[in-house]
Amino acid sequence: MKTLDKTSSLFWLLVSIAVFVESFRLGVGTLQNPGRGFMTLGASGILGILCLVLFLQTSLRKDGDERKHILAGSFPKSVLLVLAALAVYSRVMPTLGYLISTFLLMAFLFWVLERRRIPLVLASSVAATLVTYLVFSKWLNCQFPEGLLGF
Amino acid sequence: MDYFDSIIYGFQVTFHPVNFLFCGIGVLVGTLVGVLPGIGPAGAMAILLPATFQFSPTATMILLAGIYYGVQYGGSTTSILVRIPGEASTIITCIDGHEMARNGRAGPALGIAACGSFIAGTIANLGLMLVAIPLAHAALKLGPPEYFALMCTGLVIVTYLAQGSVLKAVMMALLGIILGSIGLDLITGLPRFTFGINELTDGVGIVPLVMGLFGISEILHNLEGSLQRSVFKTRIGSLWPSLKDWMQAKWAILRGSVIGFVLGILPGGGAVISPFVAYAVEKKVSKHPEKFGTGAIEGVASPEAANNAAAGASLIPLLSLGIPPNPIMAIFFSALIIHGIQPGPLLIREHPDLFWGLVASLYLGNGLLLVLNLPLIGMWVKVLEIPYKVLFPLILLFCLIGAYSMNNVVFDLYVMIFFGVVGYAMRKFGYEGAPLVLAFVLGPMLENSLRQSLLISQGSFLIFVTRPISAIALGFAFLLLLSNIFPYLRMRRRQYRQFEE
Repeated sequence: MKTLDKTSSLFWLLVSIAVFVESFRLGVGTLQNPGRGFMTLGASGILGILCLVLFLQTSLRKDGDERKHILAGSFPKSVLLVLAALAVYSRVMPTLGYLISTFLLMAFLFWVLERRRIPLVLASSVAATLVTYLVFSKWLNCQFPEGLLGF
Repeated sequence: MDYFDSIIYGFQVTFHPVNFLFCGIGVLVGTLVGVLPGIGPAGAMAILLPATFQFSPTATMILLAGIYYGVQYGGSTTSILVRIPGEASTIITCIDGHEMARNGRAGPALGIAACGSFIAGTIANLGLMLVAIPLAHAALKLGPPEYFALMCTGLVIVTYLAQGSVLKAVMMALLGIILGSIGLDLITGLPRFTFGINELTDGVGIVPLVMGLFGISEILHNLEGSLQRSVFKTRIGSLWPSLKDWMQAKWAILRGSVIGFVLGILPGGGAVISPFVAYAVEKKVSKHPEKFGTGAIEGVASPEAANNAAAGASLIPLLSLGIPPNPIMAIFFSALIIHGIQPGPLLIREHPDLFWGLVASLYLGNGLLLVLNLPLIGMWVKVLEIPYKVLFPLILLFCLIGAYSMNNVVFDLYVMIFFGVVGYAMRKFGYEGAPLVLAFVLGPMLENSLRQSLLISQGSFLIFVTRPISAIALGFAFLLLLSNIFPYLRMRRRQYRQFEE
């Protein structure tokens, strides 16, 4: 946990510095007439100080550094696969349309991650796609992209 | 209108077919969400929120309230039968509830949980009616400094009650304020932190943010391990508790209701902290504290009553002050804003249909939960047996639909995925999402109040200490940050960690 805390505190410190600098650029204004960057300057300043406190606190802590890695344990490729699938889905949905892209996403998730039989995968994917389409698009009037194929 | 006329009017609003349907859907969806892992009440509300755009704000609030109430019921079912709390608010129910199930008393445990929740919910509704209106009248006298101080205090309490490090929780609250400032500046109308991305001009959407931090990150986290759940095989039997059970549980329910109501009004308390306090109090006042942990019915009745009472009470600061006291109420707050209603002291006066309709729907929802869920417990047990690998693609799909249909832009999907990864990393590094979400919603109001206060005082921060309410609120927040003045809360955090381990 010690390594994790040190790493995260340094990361947030960088974020706070970036926000602090940008707040200055936006304009802090005066106390009588605070500017766009006034609030974020204060928030990022305090965040930066707290990051330093966390870093020092963790460094001075006497408990053993167990070197726990964030990828330790069972960090599975399924997490990466799901994230990749979501990113690809977001990219192709406007082009392929809701029905096709959702069917492909569902088929991918059911098949690659569950290893279910193909007919079952196809049936589940079609059912999930059509039911959500009918409920959200037809009944609740959500506007899904039609895509190049027009459906 | 007096209270009686108002509540009659509220029931007329609630019994409108659409509102009635939304109440029913809300409590059923809420119970389902409470039973299922991987999606909490915030995520479920965020998913359904875009679908409510074509309906009235009253119907939307009734739906959200139904979900919130239903979650408390559903969570207790998993706590008792599986010893896996569906929600954080039902963690403590696991201890005696599951022991009762192991002793062959699953039915009375489920029954007293449902009945206790019903009684507590009804008491909380009465309290809501009686407290919200006077508080809203009083709130009309509050100015920007008082609002700034109250919001600061709320944020400090939320961070103080964080389950992990308070320091990290404060950091997340500050990050939430920074994220909340993305978009157009309220006073100058100029963009900030948008990095030239047009979609960020309106700021980061609450729905993709919540869905990412709570929904996607939870799914990713669950994918790490095999989430094997085994439902305790026992005959549930009669759900109606015996007379002896009632005699043992009656004061526990009442005490739990009062504790839940009081803590529910406080910022940050909500439905999560109150069951722990109620359980501790019940054990303290019991003549047989040694029975707690071995299947004492008071150990189920009191926390279940407390979490439901707190759920109802947490609507008070939102509806009367316009300040959401916890992340769930932040979703309510956003829903009202999306529907063009400004939460605050004028809400009750300007939108009586919404306020009284919501209050009446809480009575109705409580009744529906009792009538529908007790006979449906067998069905919820079946739901518990569905493998997670079948559920998670569907939950993911609902998250995608919810995030997209908010504004019908793909950018929101990227935002959701981004915050999903952030939320996943936050879990790994021991940071909590709740202070971030609350600060994200309160951030713009906080900034507005601060800037208005400084304009009023011509740049003097003394305005916050020369006005009594803001001085008291900020003093309290300051003391809270400086020291751990409530030993029982420290104990509760320790208990939570021990339980988690």
